[in-house]
Amino acid sequence: MLAANQTLTMAWGAEPPSLDPGLATDTTSSNVLLNIMDPLVKLDPKTLKPVPSLAQSWDVNGATVTFHLRHDGRWTNGDPVTANDFVYSWLRTLSPELGADYAYQFYGMTGAQAYNSCDPKKADCNTLKNKVGISAPDQYTLKVELTSPQPWFIQQVAHTSFLAVNHKAVERWGERWTEPGHIVTNGPFKLAVWKHDAEIDLAKWNGWRDAKDVTLKRVNGRIITDGTTAVQSFAAGEIDVNTTGIPPADLPRLKTEDTYQNYPALGTYFYGLNVKNIPLQERRAMALAIDRKSIIDNIAQADQVPATSFSAKGIPGFGEIKNDYLQPTADMGKAKALLAKTPNAKKHINLFVNDAPGHKEIAIAVQAAWKKLGIDVTIKQMEFAQFLEFLGPPPNKAVDAYRLGWIGDYVDDINFLETWTCQSGNNNSNYCNPRYDALVEKARSTKDNAERFKIYAQAEDMLTGPNGDFPVIPIYWYTYVTQEAPSVKDSFNINLLNQFDLSTVKVVDK
Amino acid sequence: MVVNPQQEELRELVLTRTGGGVDAGAPIRQTSLWRDAWYRYRANRAAVIAGGLFLLLVVYVVFAPILSPYDPYAVDFSQAYQPISWSHPLGTDQYGRDLFTRTALGGRISIGIGFAATIAITGIGILYGSISGFVGGRLDNGMMRFLDALYGLPYLPFAIIVTQLFQTVNFWVMVIALTIASWFTAARVVRGQIISLKENDYVRAARAVGARWYRILGRHLLPNTLGVLIVFVFLELPGVILGEAFLSFIGLGINPPKASWGSLAQDGRDVYLAHPTMILIPSVAIAWLILCAFFIADGLRDALDPRTRET
Amino acid sequence: MTTFVIRRLLWTIPVLLLVILFTFLMMRQIKGNPFRKTDRAVPAAIQANLDRKFHLDEPWYVQYADYVKGVFSLDLGPSLVLRNQSVNDIVKSHFPVSLELGAYAFLFAIVAGVPLGMLAALRANKLSDYLAMLVANVGFAVPSFLVATLLIYYFAVKWNVGLPTSGWRSWDSKILPSIALGFFPMAYFARLVRGTMLETLQQDYVRTAKAKGLRRRRVVGLHVLRNSLIPVATAAGPLLGAVITGSFIIETIFAIPGIGRYYVSSVSARDYSVTMGLTILYAVIVIVGNLVVDILYGFLDPRTREART
Repeated sequence: MLAANQTLTMAWGAEPPSLDPGLATDTTSSNVLLNIMDPLVKLDPKTLKPVPSLAQSWDVNGATVTFHLRHDGRWTNGDPVTANDFVYSWLRTLSPELGADYAYQFYGMTGAQAYNSCDPKKADCNTLKNKVGISAPDQYTLKVELTSPQPWFIQQVAHTSFLAVNHKAVERWGERWTEPGHIVTNGPFKLAVWKHDAEIDLAKWNGWRDAKDVTLKRVNGRIITDGTTAVQSFAAGEIDVNTTGIPPADLPRLKTEDTYQNYPALGTYFYGLNVKNIPLQERRAMALAIDRKSIIDNIAQADQVPATSFSAKGIPGFGEIKNDYLQPTADMGKAKALLAKTPNAKKHINLFVNDAPGHKEIAIAVQAAWKKLGIDVTIKQMEFAQFLEFLGPPPNKAVDAYRLGWIGDYVDDINFLETWTCQSGNNNSNYCNPRYDALVEKARSTKDNAERFKIYAQAEDMLTGPNGDFPVIPIYWYTYVTQEAPSVKDSFNINLLNQFDLSTVKVVDK
Repeated sequence: MVVNPQQEELRELVLTRTGGGVDAGAPIRQTSLWRDAWYRYRANRAAVIAGGLFLLLVVYVVFAPILSPYDPYAVDFSQAYQPISWSHPLGTDQYGRDLFTRTALGGRISIGIGFAATIAITGIGILYGSISGFVGGRLDNGMMRFLDALYGLPYLPFAIIVTQLFQTVNFWVMVIALTIASWFTAARVVRGQIISLKENDYVRAARAVGARWYRILGRHLLPNTLGVLIVFVFLELPGVILGEAFLSFIGLGINPPKASWGSLAQDGRDVYLAHPTMILIPSVAIAWLILCAFFIADGLRDALDPRTRET
Repeated sequence: MTTFVIRRLLWTIPVLLLVILFTFLMMRQIKGNPFRKTDRAVPAAIQANLDRKFHLDEPWYVQYADYVKGVFSLDLGPSLVLRNQSVNDIVKSHFPVSLELGAYAFLFAIVAGVPLGMLAALRANKLSDYLAMLVANVGFAVPSFLVATLLIYYFAVKWNVGLPTSGWRSWDSKILPSIALGFFPMAYFARLVRGTMLETLQQDYVRTAKAKGLRRRRVVGLHVLRNSLIPVATAAGPLLGAVITGSFIIETIFAIPGIGRYYVSSVSARDYSVTMGLTILYAVIVIVGNLVVDILYGFLDPRTREART
């Protein structure tokens, strides 16, 4: 039974750094944007395949992708949404002047990287701008030239950075265009209130093309950054949904309640190993010696899944990956045997972690596990920003092992696997294997999904299989944890990319 | 009361040379003045109790970890959140670590940082204040103007920035952070004392006979400010302790696995709905220390300078 | 008096320059990339674009000079993290909140603390004195994060009194945080008022007034109260510092959008301009606060006016 009052009150976990699609980098920004704007494609909640949204269909012709837009998209200022809006917006995101963090998402398009890397102080970047492969042959057709056939491109377009902005608002208000009185949007909800650091409220927009399908009338969002404060607020009945999270130490108490909800995430928590400092067999031994299940049950406690591969579960093609070497629990026997065969094993290891809650405790558990192998581990803890700077790039020689996490930008394994190529800026392990790079390149140019998934499995095997090189030791796959009131629990869902679609939420009488 | 040989010698010297007169600020007749102070202190019931409780706390933080059979860093989930019992006088935390031991260790850090920072503050204050007060004139004027300017430096923001300057936040980083913008009052107090003592007869006499400035400062002036400084240390201590607790509570304090009472309280707050003792214990410890320090300061102030005694 | 005020105001300029210099140098030393917020590295071209946009690629003395120029034209620069907001915007939206919180906390401290201290002084050494001082001592020693947690737990979660657990919007959401922040100053005032009242009550002129037969209330009202308020005015100075410090914690716990909570996150996020801007703001607050206290003190206690040279 639908409730009479279709209002949702929720906690946002942070103040959005920006509501400009070109500049939005964190989950709060993207979740607000995905609900107030109209993406070209959305991801199907179950299969994660791209489904039409503003783009009603698309053609893929080799390295050219053509989107056909619906004719009924509208901006809140009355303008129709056209392909030119996307050309304008995407070129703007690529412009060096904007300094967009996610500009790299566009590098798959011809001329994009060159334009973004241009230094306006030294050259005229406009010539490069005109060479970028984005164009609008007519009002509702958007043509994109890619550098190579990229089968995952359509899915990638579901990301916030590919949203369009209204050029009139941007030109009129400049950097202030995202303020509530100025912003022009085209999605199911409007930005009703944005009190910085305090409140973000959304209101249903009746001018949206499919407004009749949207049940929720209003979303009142409080910005609560502290986990305990959010938990208290939920306990007092002030909010229906807590997306801020639950402090790990409080999880055991709250997990048993009906309001606890847990969603798989597309991300891997891992330990990286400096392949120049630690020999191969030792790396394999270290990977086998970790009891993932115990770490999850006792320390992380958010029902994470033990990771037996670097590619996260839920990624298309995951079924091809053999996952037969690493186990959820430790295999000390095999580990010790491997280490016994390594004469030049490194006995003293520096493990670097950052000082957020939980990481040190996991490090202590891992330290104890490796001690059983006869390896002495010194845990060095640093504040987050310093930690990141210390790791590099370029990779720091003093680091033997380090902790990091990798969250997928889009739902395709290439996103995970390319991290370990020689040139990747996210490869902190000094790992460079030409055969691995070749496999990844081959995957990039393989259009057929089934074929590509097989190649992905091979690449993953080179990382974490029985003959794997182990620049990385996966520990667990992330989950997203929320508290949801019975009135919205069924319809509120978070997908693998930490996105939630408020246009499908219905408040029921409970 | 322990009387050391040097004190005895000094006492002899003073009694024979100066005829045993008791001028305020005369070279320390240590046994006599301190003993008087001690008697007065003892008469103040609150101060004595506070002193005793303070010593008890110090004994606890020093000895509990040494005598404890538990490893404060070992992780054993089967022992998590044990209630208060004889084997765990304060229970255990979420990793099964004994809280009695960890609170003592946290106390070492908190009290250690508190005293170290307070002494550093006092030390810098002595340096700055005695130079300014003793030399006087234009230098004093200039130094005080500069000090007035420094008062504008906000203490906690600077402390926060300092904690981020170093790769890891350890004991000494915290001490620096808490000292850097807090020593101004100390300098003022010392300068005030030096100025008021400077005009005394015996100082003028010492100058007249040609005593060097360091002798006057070291022998006459500074030792007589000792009383005020000791009181000052105990008055500053609560502020420093709270400062450290606050920094730790917002996550900018000393790095784990070392814990201080502030970081223990922060951990405790995450689970207070289920396990309230985790936040209560470190908070009570902090309160204990602060109250003791305050009453001791009160008692010391009355004992060392009866003119300011409250009725 | 006016020369004194003008002198002090002129002194703020070198102080501010000093604050800016210190903060600037310190922020430069802190390692960490303001543009890297997640484990993922920033591609080189994008890093270059961002450095260029925020002038971080220029030599430090150029940045410093630009910044100082900006401060004196009241432009504190853009935020490196909140891309569509400038530091001025952040101050405009957050500072009034902190100011309001601090004001209410002070109000609570005076309204609760002064009468408590008076009660204790007038009934010295009796039961009410001991009880009053017990409350004051507890408030003095117990850290504010415990006070805040207990207040939230009892008044907002457990007992259904209807007070919100967090936020700063309706009038009822402002009650608990103000009490939590004002608890320590309240205790401080209570002790101070008790102490000075007792001292004043002992003074000869008071005894004389009593001997003359003036009613006790008049005695208290006229002489004692005014003289007892002098230390309260001087205490306001250090208490300002305590309120600023305490606001960091209270704002975090109660999810109040003030500058205290913001300051902490800006330092961790390496948002240089916000950190510097807010530090300058704090310095101005402290300077103005000290100036106000000194002026008040000058009015209340004529003896000190001559001492001001």
